[in-house]
Amino acid sequence: MLWIRGLLIITLGFCVWVSLAVASSAESDNFESCHLDGWGSSLLCTDLPVGEGDTAVDLAVMIAPAVNDIGREPIYLLAGGPGQAASHLTPILNALHKVNQDRAIVLVDRRGSGYSGAFDCGINREITMDLGVVSERLSECYLEKTTFANALNSRQAVEDLEKVRIHLGHGKIALWGGSWGTRTALLYQQWYPDSLSVLILDAVAPIDTKVFLTARAAENALRKLELDCSEDPICAELGNWRVELDQLLVSWDKSGGANFPDPRSGDRLKVDIPRSFLQNLIRTALYAPETAAQIPFAVSQAGSGNYLPLSGLAGLLSDSGMSVGLTLSVACAEELNRTSSEELAADSRGSFLGTAFFEFFEEGCRVWPVAPFSYKKPEPRNHPVLLISGEADPITPYYYADQNLNYLSGAKHLLVPGGGHINTMRGCVPELIKIFLNSPSEALDTACLDDIQRPPFMVGFFGPEIDIPKTKEKVRVQEGSL
Amino acid sequence: MNFTRRMFTAPMRALIRKELLEVWRDRRALGLALAFAILFPGLIAAMIMFALKSQGEKTFRVALIGGENVPVLEQQLSKGSFQLDSLSESDPASLLNNNYDAVVKIADGFADDYRNFRSPKVYLYVDGSNRFSGRGATHVQKNLGELQQLIVQQRLVARGVAVQLMAPWQVQVRDVSTPSSRSTWIFSSIPMLLIMTLFVGCLSSSIDTSAGERERMSLEVLLQQPVEAWQIVLGKVIAVSSISWFASILALTSLMVVFPFLPLAEMGIKHATTVWGAVTIALALLPLALLIAVLQILLALRSQSFKDAQTQLSILQFLPVTLLFILDMSAIELKGPLWQLVPLVAQQQWFKVLLVGDSISVAWVIAGSLVSLLLVVGCILGGARALQRESLLGAT
Repeated sequence: MLWIRGLLIITLGFCVWVSLAVASSAESDNFESCHLDGWGSSLLCTDLPVGEGDTAVDLAVMIAPAVNDIGREPIYLLAGGPGQAASHLTPILNALHKVNQDRAIVLVDRRGSGYSGAFDCGINREITMDLGVVSERLSECYLEKTTFANALNSRQAVEDLEKVRIHLGHGKIALWGGSWGTRTALLYQQWYPDSLSVLILDAVAPIDTKVFLTARAAENALRKLELDCSEDPICAELGNWRVELDQLLVSWDKSGGANFPDPRSGDRLKVDIPRSFLQNLIRTALYAPETAAQIPFAVSQAGSGNYLPLSGLAGLLSDSGMSVGLTLSVACAEELNRTSSEELAADSRGSFLGTAFFEFFEEGCRVWPVAPFSYKKPEPRNHPVLLISGEADPITPYYYADQNLNYLSGAKHLLVPGGGHINTMRGCVPELIKIFLNSPSEALDTACLDDIQRPPFMVGFFGPEIDIPKTKEKVRVQEGSL
Repeated sequence: MNFTRRMFTAPMRALIRKELLEVWRDRRALGLALAFAILFPGLIAAMIMFALKSQGEKTFRVALIGGENVPVLEQQLSKGSFQLDSLSESDPASLLNNNYDAVVKIADGFADDYRNFRSPKVYLYVDGSNRFSGRGATHVQKNLGELQQLIVQQRLVARGVAVQLMAPWQVQVRDVSTPSSRSTWIFSSIPMLLIMTLFVGCLSSSIDTSAGERERMSLEVLLQQPVEAWQIVLGKVIAVSSISWFASILALTSLMVVFPFLPLAEMGIKHATTVWGAVTIALALLPLALLIAVLQILLALRSQSFKDAQTQLSILQFLPVTLLFILDMSAIELKGPLWQLVPLVAQQQWFKVLLVGDSISVAWVIAGSLVSLLLVVGCILGGARALQRESLLGAT
């Protein structure tokens, strides 16, 4: 009889194990497989409803699951802007593919961006140069969605992020923030310190730093470019292009639109092109070393009356992908409200950018009357923090990492030579991030950063010179050299 | 009930005990089963390490001839996983023979032609018979492609043309595979090897318990005992299959232990076999172990001698595995319902699915296992009838 019982137990056991096998493989049925442009592998996606009434949005959550999940905490990517969507961070996802081998990477489009109800006011793709027209459209947009616009701020973004963390059942999480995403990450650290393991902040925007005052940072980045160009034997032959740029800005004739053919259609532009267009074009080109390397030639050509290279550069940089409504809600409430005209004047004095960047927000915030949102003084935190900065970042300069972050103990700083804005994908930085994540308290060997070089400068219509060696000598910009 | 009553009679219990003792005391049989069970995970691990070496990250040795005239190209080629040696004039073929994975030769007058938009040549020499050569060449092309893209971008910008014009559309590749499904190619050989363990595991003991007993004349004594012929066959099948099932479970367990230590994630592959999946595989192996044991015993019984049994069973070891291999290669859709009822094929398909962490249909697993068990019953009855024939006992 014992045998019969034994046989019965084995049969029953068989059925139970098979059923459990079936059940265990179906555990991720709340997620759908999805894809993002720029990332070939499939992701797991889900929507999380947040907010009520006019502020309700289904938050888009996208997860690149760890290839081999060994229980390491996931890393969440926070996009910049404010107004950029995390779903646009696929270049970062690609750079962190080795981190993804044993760690899930989570992307959350914050409310009002990307797939979470993009608040772009219909001016996402076509950007007109007439600020008056832009203001009019923004004004209509604000009146149309006033409640939504008033509700968007960093507190809401952090609360939403915390809801996602709880919903996904994650314990402590690591945060990667890029540009404005670093601000969100630093605020998350203040408000939910127990939910956080480590912070990686690329192009840091400290809580107490007024990051919309960018003219001095942009000027420093341009001077660093000037210095690097002068040390490159071929770029140096372009002459004093910086003086040509200053002259160009002084003598700018806004009716010279005909000089700027549309880089896509080739048509002559019939609109006025304000000086601020050129100022912002140079500022934006400084974001990436690849585009910065084209500034000296483009400017020297413009100095000789050929505006085509500048026009081509504008074509290269035309798609910002920001949700302007979200940008304004956050920027007006959290930055513009605390920035005085005296500070603006001091920042813009003597810089090529002047107030060209700020005036768009100044104009925009006039028709976007959201209530001010202020932050408390940051409290001391001791999470391991990795700060990454570019030596020639035109908006969040490397010296921000040394300012207003004294409340953080245990921060490490990577300075990328010749780097612009966002350097996570450059050289050995992804490898250093992986090492930092796996052993945050250990010292990092950063010698490999010295191998990162600027791309070759454009010096002619053929592109870069290829038969003259680039100089390897690097000179660091002195802090506050303006 | 009649069957169960007879199944658990005292003589039957004694018979099974005797068979089990004989099988498990045979050191040679046990040694063969265990050796195969341990060698098998080693084989799989070695295969994966080999695949890693040929697919994973590797530093390529690349020689650059004439690079001293184009330092920007030289710098670009040094990026990433390259050990670049810049040489003056040299023979590419002899360099490739001298352990270089690729040789890049810059055409004479390259810089002048480049400046004058005459599209100068870069010669990329590879040795197609070297398995790393193709990958080395791909890396060289990727590195040069990055610089080329930068130059194209600069040339377009210099002429006021948006770079987007060069891409009338963007092709976005969307890979629908998952890290676990990407492991299919690595895990596809495991079911076959597990099944082979069942064959090899009971090879020695099935010959010994049938042809061996017949030669030792102990089979006649057994037939004179107060047990039915089918009970004798069943006793032998249980004993023989116990050793092969144990060997296959041991092989499976060693695999489960070894896999977490293999750097599969570097290849974007996930070892997704769950504990549930492994136990399901172990349980689904049981009906197959019984079937293989009974087939081997019957074949050995009908052979002319011990030696003949050895020859015939040696052939049997490779026959089903070869058949499975051919079925795999012939691109026949084996996931269809009817194949789920065919022993060996069905188990192979289930194991493949379970090893990558996917789910299988419980109903089909039960139905397929029942088919195997029915065949076992049929074979036992056939074997019992054969045992009663005097000619069988007379064979030497």
